[in-house]
Amino acid sequence: MADKDYSSTDDPTLVRKAQRGNMAAFEELVARHRDKIYARALSMMRNEEEATDLSQEAWVKGWQRLKQFQGEASFGTWMTRIVINLCLDQLRKQKRQRAESIEEIDEESGGVERQMPVVTVNPTAGLERLELRQRIDQALNQLSYEHRTVLVLHQFEEMEYKQIAKTMGCSIGTVMSRLFYARRKLAALLADLKKRDEG
Amino acid sequence: MDYEAQLKLQAHLDGELPEDEAREVTNWLARDREAVALYGELRNTRQALVGHEVGVSLPESREFFWSKIEREIRLLEPPETSVRPAPLLSAWRRWLVPAGAVAAVASALLVGVFGETRIATVETAVDDPAAFTYHDYSSRTTLVWFSYPADEDPVDRTPGTVE
Repeated sequence: MADKDYSSTDDPTLVRKAQRGNMAAFEELVARHRDKIYARALSMMRNEEEATDLSQEAWVKGWQRLKQFQGEASFGTWMTRIVINLCLDQLRKQKRQRAESIEEIDEESGGVERQMPVVTVNPTAGLERLELRQRIDQALNQLSYEHRTVLVLHQFEEMEYKQIAKTMGCSIGTVMSRLFYARRKLAALLADLKKRDEG
Repeated sequence: MDYEAQLKLQAHLDGELPEDEAREVTNWLARDREAVALYGELRNTRQALVGHEVGVSLPESREFFWSKIEREIRLLEPPETSVRPAPLLSAWRRWLVPAGAVAAVASALLVGVFGETRIATVETAVDDPAAFTYHDYSSRTTLVWFSYPADEDPVDRTPGTVE
């Protein structure tokens, strides 16, 4: 007997079916939201293999916790929160396991971003989408995980400062400082990349 | 421009300031070129990140990715412990046979009462509730009633055993 086609079933219905144990319905939800979940994991981890593994783990956890989902947020948002928490756990574990680079120590002690010259020319103007993505990826790779995470949570997850502070277990002041540093550093890196290409 | 002022510019850009502070920053931006330049840089960076994740695809096929998830879900789920309900006949036998034994002993008691026979004891073995022992000392009779066939192991009939 062929599996039922759920491609035109809406998310809330699929969730209800999956909560009753319907794996085919859950598989459709995975198919619909897998790229978004993966993209969020990739933004945080900056490594395709890790992002894929953590996405997979997030989906398994999603299945296990499905009965707890009450529809207070969209299913996609609920799943991204799961993958974000998994990524944060993994990043904290990695940080404990490796020594910090001098740059990271400088970042955390703060102050550098206050002295950076302001980038007045928009370094991304005129760039094609793909080229812009590549440059931003290069720049994001150079941020520490704390600064990158704050940027991802604010910019992509659209969290307020207060929510980010709660998720990362830090103060609102720390969130603001890290976000400020991340943005200023990103602007400087993008400007450098632009100069290098033009020079 | 001090650091607190710089952070305030950022908070204004992010819509995190209360109304009165937001108005103050707007007035400040109208007269301070340094603040305008920094605000512009922060806004450009924020704008550059919009839609950054759009178009990013997981580098595995739908089927392969799902097969890994499904396998892990099945591995983590507890095995089903099904207890088949006892067939109806077995269920009846468990109840009916001891009841029959009790009835037989009760009949023997009644016979004993009307036949003026003194009944000494009726016992049931604690470990085997389906066996009854009846002693009649006056006639020196001992009756042992087993409520299961002779070839069946009584251990198998321990309550709760899955058949």
